[in-house]
Amino acid sequence: MIRTEDLKIGYHSPLLQVENFTLQKGELYFLIGKNGSGKSTFLKTISGQLSPISGRAFLNEKLSTEIPFRDLPKTVSFVSSHFPIVDFLKVEDFIALGRNSHTSYFGKLQASDSQVINSTIKRLQISHLIGRFTSELSDGEKQLVAIAKALVQETPIILLDEPTAFLDYSNKTLVLETLKRISVEMEKCIILSSHDLDMSLEMNCPFLVVNFQEKSLQLIDSSVSKQDLLRIAFE
Amino acid sequence: MGITKKNSTILIALLICIPVFALIHLSVGQIDISFQEIWRALTNYDEHFVNEIIVSEIRIPRLSMALLAGASLSVVGLLMQTLFNNPLAGPYVLGINSGSSLFVALSIMTGVPFFASDFGIIANALVGAFLFGLIILFFSRLVRTQVALLLIGLMLGAFISAFVSFLQSASDAQELKVFTLWALGSLQKVESAQLPIIILVSFIGMAGAFLIIKPLNILVLGENEAKLLGVNIKRVRLIIISITAILTGIITAFCGPIAFVGLAVPNLVRILFKTQQHFILISASLLMGALFILICDIVIQLLEPHFLLPINVLTSIIGAPMVILFILKRLK
Repeated sequence: MIRTEDLKIGYHSPLLQVENFTLQKGELYFLIGKNGSGKSTFLKTISGQLSPISGRAFLNEKLSTEIPFRDLPKTVSFVSSHFPIVDFLKVEDFIALGRNSHTSYFGKLQASDSQVINSTIKRLQISHLIGRFTSELSDGEKQLVAIAKALVQETPIILLDEPTAFLDYSNKTLVLETLKRISVEMEKCIILSSHDLDMSLEMNCPFLVVNFQEKSLQLIDSSVSKQDLLRIAFE
Repeated sequence: MGITKKNSTILIALLICIPVFALIHLSVGQIDISFQEIWRALTNYDEHFVNEIIVSEIRIPRLSMALLAGASLSVVGLLMQTLFNNPLAGPYVLGINSGSSLFVALSIMTGVPFFASDFGIIANALVGAFLFGLIILFFSRLVRTQVALLLIGLMLGAFISAFVSFLQSASDAQELKVFTLWALGSLQKVESAQLPIIILVSFIGMAGAFLIIKPLNILVLGENEAKLLGVNIKRVRLIIISITAILTGIITAFCGPIAFVGLAVPNLVRILFKTQQHFILISASLLMGALFILICDIVIQLLEPHFLLPINVLTSIIGAPMVILFILKRLK
């Protein structure tokens, strides 16, 4: 689903060398690394907000830099770490904005759009939030609603920038379990960045780890031990 | 996504209020004119009756300008608030009106007859509004906080006023008179022959706003989110600034600066309608803005026997405290 070829990423100068790897659909990947090590840079590169310094990334077998601006939201969806603060924005209106690249000129929802939105709401079990304003939601609820917006985009790839950063233990578990379930049930390729090493190990998922010494991003199997993970990422 | 029952009720109420108050507006003034006479002037115009001439040559242009000015400036305010993600943005506070004033002043003071003509004033007001729209857009890329942008807008306004004052002191009596009359601002100066062009231009601007409801709905989430959802931000920004320039320019050219409508009305609309769907927000701002200026102008005409109140003064008296109220509510 995501394939890298000699990919070097960074803002103006190379920050990270990305190993050659292929990320599969139906898998949830934990992106681990020190602060400022380049986790966000990687997510921004994959989501098309940033061009690679050199090398290539293929999204769904298409070269990332050749996907037209308008089609990108149909390939990759992105859940940013900050939920937008907006007055009077209803949860259902917010989720519906994810359909943007599917709807016609005036953005009117067709039956097929409503169907996608409703099944997503059912899948995430957030129908009790419909009709509320996004500004009234708790942090956990906001995260689920943001994930719903990404899901209605119907993209094969979903990226999340620290989705569990502001959540308490039970909400963290809920969000991570939900993401894991979605990756399997809907055959999505999901990458999320996280600081929570213990939680990530519990989920039994493969890791993308920024090797701080070597300035490289490596794909590591889920069977890795905590000691090894700590050594690679934080020493 | 649809329109709630409550919101459609308010919209219909506004739609009913406008013709009612429009009739009242036509009937008030220095001469009492009955509803029958107004009806005859509208349906079966006869220029032998003075009252019918007053209706068609004076009161209908004034009514039209009240409706257009209120609707246009409110839509502009709404667009700017969404573009800058700033509930306190508006054509007046960000200096767009002042930009128009400066260019009209410059054009009148140059002494070239073409510039002082109707067409010259419109063209210059549009260019001024567009230019200062671009300047504000440029500053909005540099500053990150909402307050900083508002302060820059206010300073731009102050800077331009000083410059306009300087131009006035340096100009001769005739030019000064033309400009001062314009800058006082009123809904009365438009002649019926000028109405078609003003109506056409403001309708183009307002139609433009309806054409971009989809990107506006997404822009509410901020520019970065909008980009990720496939919105062409640069193009949308330019369209919004163009619509702002067209609407602010055409109204400022004929009515002079009118303060606070563009700031107060969209905020009132958001609080009343509790939605971020721009189809509703634009429709409601348009109707409520028109109704707001309409009622202001009725009040002005009722007070006329006692004292003369310029429209700009009345909208400031009502609008400024309203805006303070919104700020207090947000900071709580």
